Amino acid sequence: MADPVHAEGKTPCPSPTLLRMALGVTYFYFGFLKFFPDLSVAEVLAGHVLTSLSSHSMDARSLLLALAVLECAIGLGFLFNVCLPIVTVLFFLHLCGTFLPLFLLPELTFKFLPFAPTLDGQYIMKNVVFAAAGWTVLSPELRRRYTSE
Amino acid sequence: MSPRIEKLLAAAVVLVIAIGVGSTYERYRGSALSRVPEAYSPSVARAAVGANAAESSEVDAPADAVPPTRRESVAPASGDALAGNAQELLIYPTLAVGMRTPFDLWRYYGRGVTSFGSPAMPMRFEQWMDFHAKQKPALMADVREYMDGRFDFTGEAIPGAHMSGGKPIMKGPISRLPAGVDSFEELAALSPSEIRERDLFPFKPLAHPLQTTAHMLFPEAWVEAHPEHARIDVDMDIPQAYLPEFPPPMFLTTHKELGDVTGGREVTLDNFFEIFDGLLSPEQMEGLKELLRPSPTTWFNHTDHRVTAEPSRGVACFDCHVNGHTNGAIELGPDSRPNLARLRVDTPTMRGNYNLMQLSSKRSIRSMDHFSEVEEYFDGDPGMQQAIGPRAVKREVTNRMGDMNSILDFPPAPKLDPLMRLIPERATPAELRGEALFHGKAKCSVCHSGPAFVDDYLHDLRVERFYVGRPEGPIKTFPLRGIKDSPPYLHDGRLPTLHDSVEFFNLVLGLQLSPDEKNDLVDYLLCL
Ligand code: HEC
Ligand code: HEC
Repeated sequence: MADPVHAEGKTPCPSPTLLRMALGVTYFYFGFLKFFPDLSVAEVLAGHVLTSLSSHSMDARSLLLALAVLECAIGLGFLFNVCLPIVTVLFFLHLCGTFLPLFLLPELTFKFLPFAPTLDGQYIMKNVVFAAAGWTVLSPELRRRYTSE
Repeated sequence: MSPRIEKLLAAAVVLVIAIGVGSTYERYRGSALSRVPEAYSPSVARAAVGANAAESSEVDAPADAVPPTRRESVAPASGDALAGNAQELLIYPTLAVGMRTPFDLWRYYGRGVTSFGSPAMPMRFEQWMDFHAKQKPALMADVREYMDGRFDFTGEAIPGAHMSGGKPIMKGPISRLPAGVDSFEELAALSPSEIRERDLFPFKPLAHPLQTTAHMLFPEAWVEAHPEHARIDVDMDIPQAYLPEFPPPMFLTTHKELGDVTGGREVTLDNFFEIFDGLLSPEQMEGLKELLRPSPTTWFNHTDHRVTAEPSRGVACFDCHVNGHTNGAIELGPDSRPNLARLRVDTPTMRGNYNLMQLSSKRSIRSMDHFSEVEEYFDGDPGMQQAIGPRAVKREVTNRMGDMNSILDFPPAPKLDPLMRLIPERATPAELRGEALFHGKAKCSVCHSGPAFVDDYLHDLRVERFYVGRPEGPIKTFPLRGIKDSPPYLHDGRLPTLHDSVEFFNLVLGLQLSPDEKNDLVDYLLCL
């Protein structure tokens, strides 16, 4: 199968760069919203999941602030193409977290189990695209770094 | 794309997003759909907690510089530093109905998205059941841990002290002192602002354990007798030993000679005729029947908008005010929005209501007829009636409920004379010393006076001087006549015993009572 991204000898296609920037914008933008109480529509799901994970030992706002910092950091990493090994770890950890509401809060992510998600459910499921995009962007970068040494 | 252009582009994107979101937020705050009041600023909110920030007193402007119309809103005023200022509070978390709320909800503030309730649920009923089946066990474990952290429920009773029907009266104080403070006297020696800054106040408000849904929560003994009122989502958080007796005796102003007219039974729709026929007037009988007749209410009705596993016939007045007294069920005061801002209120007794000019903690309702009209849709939200079943009680009927209410008497107080003073031959020296304190050094009679030991005013005790929290504002004085029968105390039941109540007022009123004086005062309160 022809691989437009890693084709030997050709100028690499610009899509990984655009993909990387697009991931960065999405992460930074939606993360930045979470710094402001009541601005991000993800507050209900994220707040519920995070407080559940902390066994309700921390307040939702502090946890959302931590999430905002995490998402902005990932976003900046992608945007400026820096610290990619760390970004990789954070990115995949974060992605796993985004799928949690499907399991922890099926009442709000599914209209009807198991195959009829709500809009929130769809919003989460489409993160498989993020995972693939992240892999597309990160794997050649990492390979380049670790094979050149 | 060259790396330089790429970096420039990235920087531009970051800048646009940061400035864009920031300025959007400025315009969003205080707008119609925002839960964040205009004055809120995310950066100062946390920084100010605990800080003894001085009030920014601006220099008076010359009179001719004052604009003809007011443009600035008035900042909340408070005597001690910034007591109760919104700057120190957190914005309410964003939650869907049914989701857990912080137990320290008094630290939060903010607007609701709307004042109006909706019968629409965010999920189907089976999902609602599943959601709570998962959430309830962990929630109740945390509720118990929280309550045990605040109170030491020893179960120890005051020797020889009983409620009117014989239930032992619990000994206190059981509110736990903060670490590093060894006695209530040591605490009372500190100033309110010191207690506040060091977060030492042991009498902070109690929230409803599940305040997104909230509404009526019945005690264990009641639910045992009335399993139809068991909730799928949450149980009562106060142990039965610290609640009123069940079923309580019922005394009538019209039949003092009979004592407890119920013969130890719970008055129900099934037995009221047998008990009261020939004792009550026809109007009172009809009123009593209405007080016993369940009708649908928020979360207890035949629709999916409910917290009972099976559809519910609803709730009757006497389901909380059992036998015209109280079983200690809790509710939220209907007088504020958002729901998260509503104060927890425990059911007051109906005994002696004939002598009260102020009914309900904050609504200043002036007649029992009026109360019977408004109460039942406890949410102050008539818009829900169509959806969950209208009650539609006509005025003649609520008047008759009022007629019945007004013959519910206080329990006997054999040690008091007609002027509500202790009869010296019947009282112990400690009780007499307590009475002297009540009318003297302890200042209780300033607000608790007359035949029901109440002044029929609302008072703002400004308890927020002692902790960082949203001010609760004026609350009606509750009568102290018969007070031994209706623990826990204060509108939200945060004071489980009379000893806790005396410690509370000692601190809040700055009385500096000695341990002996406090015990004398409790001995006296038990006589009322
Ligand atoms: C949760 C169970 C509950 C039910 C059912 C209930 N009440 Fe109450 N009642 C309360 C609570 C809680 C308060 C305190 C409300 C407040 O402070 O605003 C109260 C207060 C009152 C008061 C004022 C008492 C005072 O000392 O200020 C009256 C009168 C009263 N209720 C009558 C009624 C009538 C009449 C009905 C039936 C229509 C009724 N209640 C049903 C719980 C209940
Ligand atoms: C400034 C007026 C004022 C004074 C003085 C005062 N109280 Fe009260 N009292 C109130 C108010 C107001 C409430 C209701 C507060 C609330 O529920 O938040 C109350 C409630 C109570 C309650 C709880 C009643 C219930 O049904 O839950 C007790 C007990 C009590 N007071 C005892 C005392 C004692 C003892 C003293 C003297 C040491 C005292 N009060 C002095 C105003 C006062």
